[in-house]
Amino acid sequence: MSSNRIMTVSRAISEAIAQEMRADPRVFVMGEDIAKYGGIFGSTAGLLAEFGEERVRDTPISETGFIGAGVGAAMSGMRPIVELMFVDFFGVCMDSIYNLAAKNIYFSGGHYKVPMVIMTATGGGYSDAGQHSQTLHATFAHLPGLKVVAPSNAYDAKGLMISAIRDDSPVVFMFHKGLQGLAWMASPEAAATELPEEAYTVPFGEAKVVRPGKDVTIVTLSMMVHRALEAAKALEKEGIDAEVIDLRTLVPLDRKTVIQSVAKTGRLVVVDEDYKSFGLTAEILASVVEEDPAYLKAAPRRLAVPDVPIPYSRPMEQFVLPDAETIAAAVRGTLGKAREAA
Amino acid sequence: MATEITLAPDLWDATVNPEGIVANWFFQEGASVGKGATVAEIMVEKTTIDIVAPAAGRLHISVAKDGVVKPGAVIGTIEEG
Repeated sequence: MSSNRIMTVSRAISEAIAQEMRADPRVFVMGEDIAKYGGIFGSTAGLLAEFGEERVRDTPISETGFIGAGVGAAMSGMRPIVELMFVDFFGVCMDSIYNLAAKNIYFSGGHYKVPMVIMTATGGGYSDAGQHSQTLHATFAHLPGLKVVAPSNAYDAKGLMISAIRDDSPVVFMFHKGLQGLAWMASPEAAATELPEEAYTVPFGEAKVVRPGKDVTIVTLSMMVHRALEAAKALEKEGIDAEVIDLRTLVPLDRKTVIQSVAKTGRLVVVDEDYKSFGLTAEILASVVEEDPAYLKAAPRRLAVPDVPIPYSRPMEQFVLPDAETIAAAVRGTLGKAREAA
Repeated sequence: MATEITLAPDLWDATVNPEGIVANWFFQEGASVGKGATVAEIMVEKTTIDIVAPAAGRLHISVAKDGVVKPGAVIGTIEEG
């Protein structure tokens, strides 16, 4: 088989899981519609046919039950991947996530490990309303004991999933629905990438400079990487050279790469599809300012959902989500250029 | 010699869903592909069907991503040799 294939994120994830299941009999998958249907966003497609229903288990609609079962299985020596269909549904199973999965390594003084992956779909932009469109990055990144990853493309998705499965701590693996490459939902072209056949890991806590630049640093992740790159391309025509950083993982957070970049550019725009207040955007700003406030030559800017539920109405939803135009306008703002108000 | 990538006439029930679309190509135009490699996926309603290369060689895409197809359609060719 050749490695010149261009694979979608959903196929990268299911391939990563399949390869780890072949290599390690302790790895199994459960969740709603993950077996026969292959996952409503395609992340477990093909697994049932290869591994059978003992290792690829459809569950009842009871996140409280099956996420709790996942924690128990992980503490008993298995390596479960449990899908929470939409991250928005975390409310009914949060005790299992933040009091059990996140804390049991600590509570047991390290005697127990919780090698569990909670795989979940995030993001909006396709009119699915407020309880199916959130990213909730910061909600999970805020809680000690969880690692949190959110890839922007197929290559990173495969490598981060393999790292997540092999990790002895619980990992929340957040894939953005709009990056999956599904036939029924538009996806940015760059989300699908060349995908090596072999298993490989992408380490946690290493951000990637996806576009080097000297005038301004744009820090983001997941879907917004593509919006930021689009903005950077538009800004290039105006003679503005933007550096774009894809964080790839929220926990651990690669503050060093961000700080080094801002030390070079002196200007910072942070873009997140999560809510604005008490979130990732503020965390990034704080990380830079705590290191050295003198790095910043201009006031930094934050773009995120302005503390409202994600609207169902298409024009209203598009208005609250950051996009290439609003990102470009924020960049111009840090440079003291006109036309900031898009 | 060129081998056509043809959708099987009974790939899906066209009396229920007359048309599908080419959802994704997994190789670029002109890429070299192995026989049996998954080269494309077709979507009918919300179901996707993998299409594999009938031969090894150089891929030529004739129905681009998002193109509408019916059972029996030729979506590309593979130039062997």
